[in-house]
This record gives sequence, C-alpha cells and structure tokens, in this order.
Amino acid sequence: MGIEGQYPLLFLIWLAPFAGAIVIWALGPKLKSWSGPIGCAAIGVSFVATLASWADAVRSGPAGATTVVGAHQTMVTWIKGFALGLLWDPLTLVWTLIITGVGFLIHFYSMGYMHGDRGYPRFFAYMNFFVFAMLTLVLADNFVVLLVGWGLVGLASFFLIGFWFERPSAVAAATKAFVMNVVGDVGILFAIFILVAVVGSVSFADAFAGVQAHAYNGQLLFIACAALFVGCAAKSAQVPLHSWLPDAMEGPTPVSALIHAATMVTAGVYLIARCWPMWQGSADARELVGVIGGLTALLGAILGIGQWDIKRILAYSTMSQIGYMIMGVGVGAYDGGVLHFFTHAFFKAQLFLTAGIVIHALHNEQDVRRMGGLRAREPFAFWSMLVATLSICGFPPLAGFFSKDAVVYETLVKGHPVLYAIGVLTAGITAYYMFRMVFITFFGTYRGEIDPSSLGIRHPELAGTSAGLLKHPHDEAAPHEEHAPAWLMTAPVAVLFVGTIFAGFLDLGGTNSFWYGLLQPVFGATIAPVEGAAPFSELASSALVFIVVLAGIGLAYLRYGSTAALRDSVARLRNESIRMFPLLTNAFYFDAAIDALFVRPSRAFGTFFGVVVDPLVIDGAVREARVSALWLGHLFRSFQTGLVRAYALTIVFGAAAFIVYYAVVGAH
Amino acid sequence: MSVALANYIALSAVIFMIGAAGVVLRRNPLVMLMAIELMWNAANLAFVAYARASMNNAGHIFAFLVITVAAAEAAIGLAIVVIVFRRAEFVDVDEVSVLKG
Repeated sequence: MGIEGQYPLLFLIWLAPFAGAIVIWALGPKLKSWSGPIGCAAIGVSFVATLASWADAVRSGPAGATTVVGAHQTMVTWIKGFALGLLWDPLTLVWTLIITGVGFLIHFYSMGYMHGDRGYPRFFAYMNFFVFAMLTLVLADNFVVLLVGWGLVGLASFFLIGFWFERPSAVAAATKAFVMNVVGDVGILFAIFILVAVVGSVSFADAFAGVQAHAYNGQLLFIACAALFVGCAAKSAQVPLHSWLPDAMEGPTPVSALIHAATMVTAGVYLIARCWPMWQGSADARELVGVIGGLTALLGAILGIGQWDIKRILAYSTMSQIGYMIMGVGVGAYDGGVLHFFTHAFFKAQLFLTAGIVIHALHNEQDVRRMGGLRAREPFAFWSMLVATLSICGFPPLAGFFSKDAVVYETLVKGHPVLYAIGVLTAGITAYYMFRMVFITFFGTYRGEIDPSSLGIRHPELAGTSAGLLKHPHDEAAPHEEHAPAWLMTAPVAVLFVGTIFAGFLDLGGTNSFWYGLLQPVFGATIAPVEGAAPFSELASSALVFIVVLAGIGLAYLRYGSTAALRDSVARLRNESIRMFPLLTNAFYFDAAIDALFVRPSRAFGTFFGVVVDPLVIDGAVREARVSALWLGHLFRSFQTGLVRAYALTIVFGAAAFIVYYAVVGAH
Repeated sequence: MSVALANYIALSAVIFMIGAAGVVLRRNPLVMLMAIELMWNAANLAFVAYARASMNNAGHIFAFLVITVAAAEAAIGLAIVVIVFRRAEFVDVDEVSVLKG
C-alpha cells in the first residue's frame, strides 16, 4: 500500500495547522487580530503542501497518470510489528484537498465573521486544531492513529460548538456532540480489538490483506465492519446517532461550515471508502450501511421540511446528503460516494457561509420567518444561495447533479431498488425544503419588523434554536460600525462558486473521466461500470430524478413562492408554525427516545450509586474502619492503668505462665 | 565439702520470689528498688552456680554484665525517684499514674 520512502511534505501538510494552533493558543492575547491571518496562513501552507505533494506524486509516477498509487512513510514502530505511519493515496488526496482548500476559505471568511469577537484568537486556535485533527484522521496508515484523529476531531468539535460557552444551550450542544461521538470512538476501538485478534496488526494494509486471505472466521468480518460503522454513524450523523448535528448549530456559522463541509461529518464516508476491501468482503455489512444511509437521507430531508432556523435547515440537509454518501459507499459505489463528498463540500460550505452573511446582515437573526424579501437587500447572498441550492438539489449541470445522480443510479446498478426509490424521493424532498428556505428568506417582503407572535413564533427568545433572537456575545463586544470589510466574507464565497458549479465536470466521460482515473488505483475493479445491471440507463435515471426535483421545486413555489403565497405570507407562515406536525417539531422523537433509553437509565444508575452504594458501601467501609479502631483503642486503653505494681504483677504472671508452659508442655 | 547445685538454685529461687513479692506488694519506691536489686542478685547467684557446676566461664561473664546493668538501673531508678519526690511529696508509687490510658 504505497511506496515506502521519506515524504517531508506530508509532515508539512499534517503539522502546519498544528503549529498554527499552538502558536495562536500560546500567544493569542498578544497576537489579537493577527491570529486570524496566522490561522489562515497555517491552513494555506498545508493546502500548498498538498498541491506540491500531488505534483510530486504525479512527477514520480508513471507517465500520464494523475497520481501514484500511494506514498507511505513509517513514523515510528510502536510495539514490535505495530508500525505507525502516514499514508498518501488518491483517497487521502481528495480529502486533504477539501480539508485544507475549503478549510482555508472558511478560515478566511471567519476573519470577517468573527471580527470583534472577544474569543477571536481562541476561535482560530480551535479551528486550526480542528483541521489538524481531521488531517491526522485522513493521513493515518493504521487504525490507531486514525482513532486518535477521530477522537481529536470530536474534541475539537466540542471546543467549537461550545465556543460561546456563556450560553447554556451551546454547552449542552457541545456536550451532546462529544458524548455521541465517544460512542462512535468506542465502536472503532472494538473494531481494532477484532483486527488485532484476527490479523495481529492495526495497519490498513494488513487488515485488508486479511480479507483476501479469508482470515476472518464466520461473522467476524461483519462484526468488525459493524463496529467501524458505529464510529461512522456517530461521526457522520447517521440514524440513530444523528441528533447532535442539528444542535451543533449552536457554534458560530463558520464552525458549522467547517464541520459540515470540510471535516468531521465526512469522516464516516472516508472510513468506509478507506476500508472498502472489508466491506467488499461482507455483503451484510454493505446492506447495513446502505440501508442506514438511505434511512438517514430520507429522515434528514423530511426533518428539513419542518425547520424555521436557517442553520437547522442546512444542518438537516447535511444529514440528508451525508446519508446519500454513506448509502453510496455502502452499496459499493465508492467513486460516487466520494464524488458526492467532494461536490457537497463546495455547495454546503457555500450555503453555510452565505447563511452566515445573511445572519450577519440581520444582526444574528436566524429564524427564516423573520427574514423575507432579502433578494433586493442582499443580492450577492441571494445569487450565491440560489446557485448552491440548485447544486444541492441536483440541478444539471451543477456539481450536485453529477454526484447525486451517480450515487442514486449506482444503488440501482448494485441491485437495491428500494434504496434507489428512497434516493429519488429524497432528491424531491430536498428540492422542496431547500427552495422553501430560499422563497421564505429571499422573496416577498421583509418581516423582521413584524411582531413575532403574528408569525406564529410563540417564544421569540426561543425561536428556532434558543439562540434565535438572543444577541450573540460578540455583538456586545463589537458595535456594528466596527464591522470588518465585507469582502472578507464575500471573497471566499465567490471562490466556492467555482466548485459549486464546475466540480461535477470532473466525473464527465465515464471511465475516461478525471475522477475515474484518480480513484481507479484505489478501488480497482470494484468501481468499473457494469453493463446491463440496471433496468434502465443512467440518462433515464437522471431524467427521472430531474422530474422529481422539478416537482419538489414546483411544490415549494406553489406554497411559498407564488404571487398568491407571497401576498399573505405572514398568515401562511403563522398557520404553518401553529399547525406543524408534532412529529417534525420533535424530530421523530429521537431525542426523547435516547433520553428514555440511555440518558435516564444512566442517570438512575448514577443516582443509585450516589445514594445507595457510595454512602453505604464505600463510605460505610471507611466509617466501620473508624469505629472498630475506636473500639480496639478503648480495649487496649483499659490495660494502661498507670500503676507500676500492676505492670510488675503482669510481668511476673507472664513469666510464671511461660515457666509453667515449658515445664509442662516443653518437656514432651 | 561442696554444696549441691540444687541448693544454690533453690536459694536463688527463694531470693527471686522475695524480690518479686517485694516489687508487687510494697508501695514505697525505694523499697521496690531494693526488691529489684534482690531479683538481680538472685539471677547472679544462679549464673555463678551454674558456671561453677559446668566449669564454664560464660556464667561469670553474665554475672558481671548483670552487676553493671544493675548499677545503671539503680542510678536511673534513684534519679527518677528523687525527681518524683521533689515534684510531689509522696512515697506511694500508686499515686504516680499520669500515664494512665
């Protein structure tokens, strides 16, 4: 797996963000507003090193190739036979490009968005640390370093989601995300145990060679895959471990963009794509992942319909799109799943960053009901949001069209008609709720000055997220006349246009496409096109998806965008708010179920130990030791009479007893 | 004429018993010290008697050791008695019980 050698560039990619994090962390109070540019520079160095490393690989590879099979450098031998190293192959390249490239744009954007925040240096330290953690994850050549990166990503997300730690809701969301992610970490740990037991190694290469050699007995391979998938489900917000994702919107908007587009939630897709030989070896595991992915895609889309917070709508759309990716890599369409990750990174980053521009312009208003008519006021945000929305809906020829159709069609090719139906249906729902958001936000008239209760917002201070109308802490620190120049925020979004529109063209041309050529060395024959496996052609499938998407957009237009709907939008929104299905407002009761099944029993368990075991057993033992020491003390005290003659008598009798004993017993 | 070993030992036992009874029964510290002295010398008598009976000098050496220790004991014991007597004028050891637990 890769050509062994010395690759200093890999260390540069990996450690530049770490160095940035350390420098900003240590010198933050001194650097002040310089921490932003330093944070950007660290990610920029990492990105340039990625490009240089790619160029290096192409130069040293066979003529005409876009990349080499892989580079590998062993860093340290942990225990005998357990070598830890860095791995660099096309799959890593794709992820590293997104993490550092899109990550750089998000960092750049943050310089504008976080301008004037009290925690400005802290923010960039955390962001750099986040990127470093994600790079650790994707550059690892073995499961142990991968797990370290996996855990660090969870930790970094905890820092960033709880960035505004003055808000209890942010702290709760951060804790929730962290705890759910640890569930996933434990899953991966169990998978590592199985791998060590079966192949005696933690490296990817050995684990995959074990599949070839049929080293896994019976269901062990499936169990290992399932344990890995627990990790993927937690990190990638798959049912039923998804509920931390919408709550994670408590973090600043660039954090949401970083978590959703460049890092974190795509880690699960990466892990499955990386471990594809294991999934190829177990049809049950592919089935499991495909079904969970499809369910998540559908569920996320349905939940997206019922949201009023612009960031929560996007959060559920992420959940849904990650569901597509997981479904893709689950059924074996690894190139399609990875392509959807690649394109999604662009349009999702653009959606979030544009939402950030809107939120910023409206002084931290996140409830779409209190927006409206922003098309004229924020034309750049409108066009950006529109293009990104069309891309996520899979509107040809934007990027999302290629990747989503690839995933959806592949489910049919690999023989999962039900998943195909779910994929098509979800595409329609996606179009509906995304355009619902666009129509409510950008069309009609501005509703920010209307009394919130007339829009059906029952608790204005709790609308959407609890952050809805609360002033963000950084507002107090920075009066609005001190806003950073607008281009800091618009320039990165403008760059993202390129990816949102054109990224899909990489997949144009079947087996001659750039994308196929890039990933073919990784996935080999598994991604080769299969003729005649599906009942109809990819073009027909695309047409079907397109029709469903148009239907979704049309429905959204009728309900939110038509002249009639816009005329009495206030009454309609109020109506919808009041009549919203409880199933949607409660997100299918997943939180309640988790609360009843896990949170409350563990709390009861803790209470049992706190009220019964601790005072009675632990404290009781200590107390009893004290009492018996006291009792023994009383006993021995009574011997200490203070009378010399009594002591003398004791000694005499003692000596006499010895003499008698030896006279009688000792004689024998 | 020689005296039998058993006689020496019997005498030693009797003197030791008198000494022990004196320590236990008498309350005057000076008398108690004297009784202790009796016990030391009872032991010495036994050592010397055995040494002569077995023609071995180890008993003599022990006897000298006992005399030395007894001298030290007497010095320290008398010093304590004098100090106690100075602090509180009594001659009854049962009243010296500050170490009672």
